Amino acid sequence: MLEGAELYFNVDHGYLEGLVRGCKASLLTQQDYINLVQCETLEDLKIHLQTTDYGNFLANQTNPLTVSKIDTEMRKRLCGEFEYFRNHSLEPLSTFLTYMTCSYMIDNVILLMNGALQKKSVKEILGKCHPLGRFTEMEAVNIAETPSDLFNAILVETPLAPFFQDCMSENALDELNIELLRNKLYKSYLETFYKFCKNHGDVTAEVMCPILEFEADRRAFIITLNSFGTELSKEDRETLYPTFGKLYPEGLRLLAQAEDFDQMKSIVDHYVVYKPLFEAVGGSGGKTLEDVFYEREVQMNVLAFNRQFHYGVFYAYVKLKEQEMRNIVWIAECISQRHRTKINSYIPIL
Amino acid sequence: MAAPDLRAELDSLLLQLLGDLEELEGKRAVLNARVEEGWLSLAKARYAMGAKSVGPLQYASHMEPQVCLHTSEAQEGLQKFKVVRAGVHTPEEVGPGEAALRRRKGPAKTPEPQSSEAPQDPLNWFGILVPHSLRQAQASFRDGLQLAADIASLQNRIDWGRNQLRELQEKLKQLEPGAA
Repeated sequence: MLEGAELYFNVDHGYLEGLVRGCKASLLTQQDYINLVQCETLEDLKIHLQTTDYGNFLANQTNPLTVSKIDTEMRKRLCGEFEYFRNHSLEPLSTFLTYMTCSYMIDNVILLMNGALQKKSVKEILGKCHPLGRFTEMEAVNIAETPSDLFNAILVETPLAPFFQDCMSENALDELNIELLRNKLYKSYLETFYKFCKNHGDVTAEVMCPILEFEADRRAFIITLNSFGTELSKEDRETLYPTFGKLYPEGLRLLAQAEDFDQMKSIVDHYVVYKPLFEAVGGSGGKTLEDVFYEREVQMNVLAFNRQFHYGVFYAYVKLKEQEMRNIVWIAECISQRHRTKINSYIPIL
Repeated sequence: MAAPDLRAELDSLLLQLLGDLEELEGKRAVLNARVEEGWLSLAKARYAMGAKSVGPLQYASHMEPQVCLHTSEAQEGLQKFKVVRAGVHTPEEVGPGEAALRRRKGPAKTPEPQSSEAPQDPLNWFGILVPHSLRQAQASFRDGLQLAADIASLQNRIDWGRNQLRELQEKLKQLEPGAA
């Protein structure tokens, strides 16, 4: 439905949309990946990356170069670009961009709490937190004993506060409860983000809602797959599924009862979109379910750029950049472990 | 001992030594393969979970070992290594002079007859819902551990065999100074 997005979008957001499309054009191409795959050492990789848009981002790194350092520097670079977008944005794009950072904030909170369990120093963990999910109350997270504590004392002022509704409890934070907290927070976050996009309407809703629905379904599948053989009960598992998406509600009810991968596959037979994905799992390439989901995500995100005057391009750009970072880290790991048989398992984007 | 008997013993010892060497080569190749697989599975887990979710942040600097090394002396000078799961030793195993319990990692503790429940599965350091690749990595490293103990025993046996061989050759030289 045309609501005049073409008429008013560029007034507030045209500059940033142009900028993000420019950034997207500088993603690594298939030729770049071929060059990277032929590197013998991480130093070679660094030299090849200098010829791409990454430039000298590793110039200040001391020897020896490790995969972890490459990953940290790439994240810093992405964060720099994102901060520029956020600083120059106006409402409602600013809220949209804030929603995007919430997922990284959740990851950081969980990282800090796990670190507290393992008696790590806060400084050590803060260095490894995702820069996109930084918020001022981060240092205090490790003193919380229960989720209610965490909310009341620390996170009540942050953008994460609205996601705590289902998570309030007085249980002590051990591994199982931290995992449950992570998934419940993420479920709440996805549902709120989905509502925001839907209420915004217009092209943004048309582009973002399918992407977020896929994200919800993907989470349901991955949670189910990873919960086989663990102490997570079926009832608990069902409470972690986001309540929207193609699988909601019948598919989710069936998934909650599944006990192995074959049962999941038979459930998916009812969903035309996901059936070919599940059939691609295994086979000669040894693809995992996560791999096929990443591929599908890349396809959807590339398609987002085919339409103009919507906020989905920012979301899609960050997700594509993340996939590129995953690709580079994978290639770097294969090079550093000298195990080159699976080095071509990256997902090309452009 | 008569020379022909000595020669026969020498031959059988040599054959056993060569057999052990072949077994050692085979086991070393398998150990390398397992360790490589394990590291690649860890890289796959990082791909699925995020690069910082599988790393030194997730484990504490002091850890309880799940597996202990058990050494025993079968013959004079010949030590055998066996891998034993922690938390399952019975009171009788603790005490006898020949068996010694050595911790492979973690702080040294005197073994107690009634040990506490088995230490926590390290897989849980990374969360409850871990991807399949992480479980595969754990399985590969567990196999590698068993192989490492076997390889250590084999290497010990080979060294012991070489010493025996040298002794027998000395004896042979004394009996037959002219023959090799």
